Amino acid sequence: MSVQEKFSAIRKGLLEFLILKIVAIDKVYVADMLGRLSATEFKTQEGTLYPLLSKLRREGLVDYEWQESDAGPPRKYYELTAKGKAQLAELSAYWKDINATINQLGR
Amino acid sequence: MQKVITINLNGNAYQLEETAFGLLRVYLDGAELQLKDNPDKAEIISDLEQAIADKCNRVLGAQKTVVTTAEVKQIIDEMGPVEGAPGEPTSEKQERPRGDAGAPKRLYQIREGAMLSGVCNGLAAYLNIDVTIVRIIFIALAVITKGAFAIAYLVLMCVIPYAKTSEEHAAAHGQPFNAQELIDDAKRNYAKFADSRDWKRRWRRQQREWRRHVRPITGRWWTAPPPAATVGYAGQIFAGIMMPVLTVVRAVIFWIWLCVMASLLSTNALFGWPIPDHVPLWAAVLVAGVAYSALVWPLNTARRASYYALGAHDYGWIAAWDGLLGFGVSVACLWLAYQYVPEVHDLADHLPIVRDNIQNFLRDVGIMRS
Repeated sequence: MSVQEKFSAIRKGLLEFLILKIVAIDKVYVADMLGRLSATEFKTQEGTLYPLLSKLRREGLVDYEWQESDAGPPRKYYELTAKGKAQLAELSAYWKDINATINQLGR
Repeated sequence: MQKVITINLNGNAYQLEETAFGLLRVYLDGAELQLKDNPDKAEIISDLEQAIADKCNRVLGAQKTVVTTAEVKQIIDEMGPVEGAPGEPTSEKQERPRGDAGAPKRLYQIREGAMLSGVCNGLAAYLNIDVTIVRIIFIALAVITKGAFAIAYLVLMCVIPYAKTSEEHAAAHGQPFNAQELIDDAKRNYAKFADSRDWKRRWRRQQREWRRHVRPITGRWWTAPPPAATVGYAGQIFAGIMMPVLTVVRAVIFWIWLCVMASLLSTNALFGWPIPDHVPLWAAVLVAGVAYSALVWPLNTARRASYYALGAHDYGWIAAWDGLLGFGVSVACLWLAYQYVPEVHDLADHLPIVRDNIQNFLRDVGIMRS
């Protein structure tokens, strides 16, 4: 089993956290998010992202607005809600703890 | 060279090669299935369609108006498999215990291992008791009621639908149906199956069965009709009740019509009512014929529909069974008529007169010369 496979569940689980992080910077649309993730270990696809975004929106963490684009039809631009910001802060803190634990444990 | 199919992706028209259309359709149908429990299904599907449309736009241009199969494959690869909302219930479903109350349990007839038709087998599965007990109860009831209960069996045979698909078999036993269950069952049964001595015979039968299902159904007029759109459980029960009723009604109408014709030809009157003077006999016969067709045509259509509903695979058997029933009703009608209708008695004695009348009639019409 390759390293990638061993961490596939973790990468999948972290995706939500990362999307919140990306959306926190600026209003983004899906192609932007995919672009930002494409060069990283968290490269993902529309088939995964749209259901995830719809879940986040249902939970009230993100919201979107339609914006006209120069090429083609209007796009959905996502942004964090207040609840989303609070959630992101919590997740970041927790992630820091996990990181610290990993660094402390063992060699 | 490929046919081109125009599709609507989120409100815009795109032209795809036929194979490409097939691929895309499979992808989107799969997506819908994955999102079936998602409250935002419609929105996600339209987002996905829009994303696909954007990707199509990328490969299209002023000189290129059709999206090819290779391009659609590429697009689908880029889109990636659609997952039910991550971190949501899918895992709970897998942990659901076998045979829980959530799975609908329904009464079906089960062919496999049946003595006659599968009524007892199905009842045993439904009540979760041994089939032998059900059979003994049925036979005991039949003996106690001096055979009258056999009619009840016949009625149940008509009314209870057959379990044909894997889902229906699962429902007959009240088990939840999903792919994992099926695989588990198959694994469990394999151990038994491999031990049993007649496994080769069974294997061959199973292969025949598969071939039968795989064989293309359309294009040959003499094969079974194309598979019906799946009919719900209630629909199958309705068809089971309606089919014999329709057959009986149709057979009765046929014999009434025959009596009408006989009455017209032998007495120039309709059961004693003379036909009006200005109406010739051939017109009366024609009217009777048209009226008969008009009555019987919708009945036949409904009967055929109920064959489909009861099971496209068993079409031949159902039709044959229905034919026997119709024949039985006809014999019963004849016997009743002979017993209780003096005219029929007379008719049997006056068959030569009828023959003369038919000859006269044909002469009137001008088909036969004197």
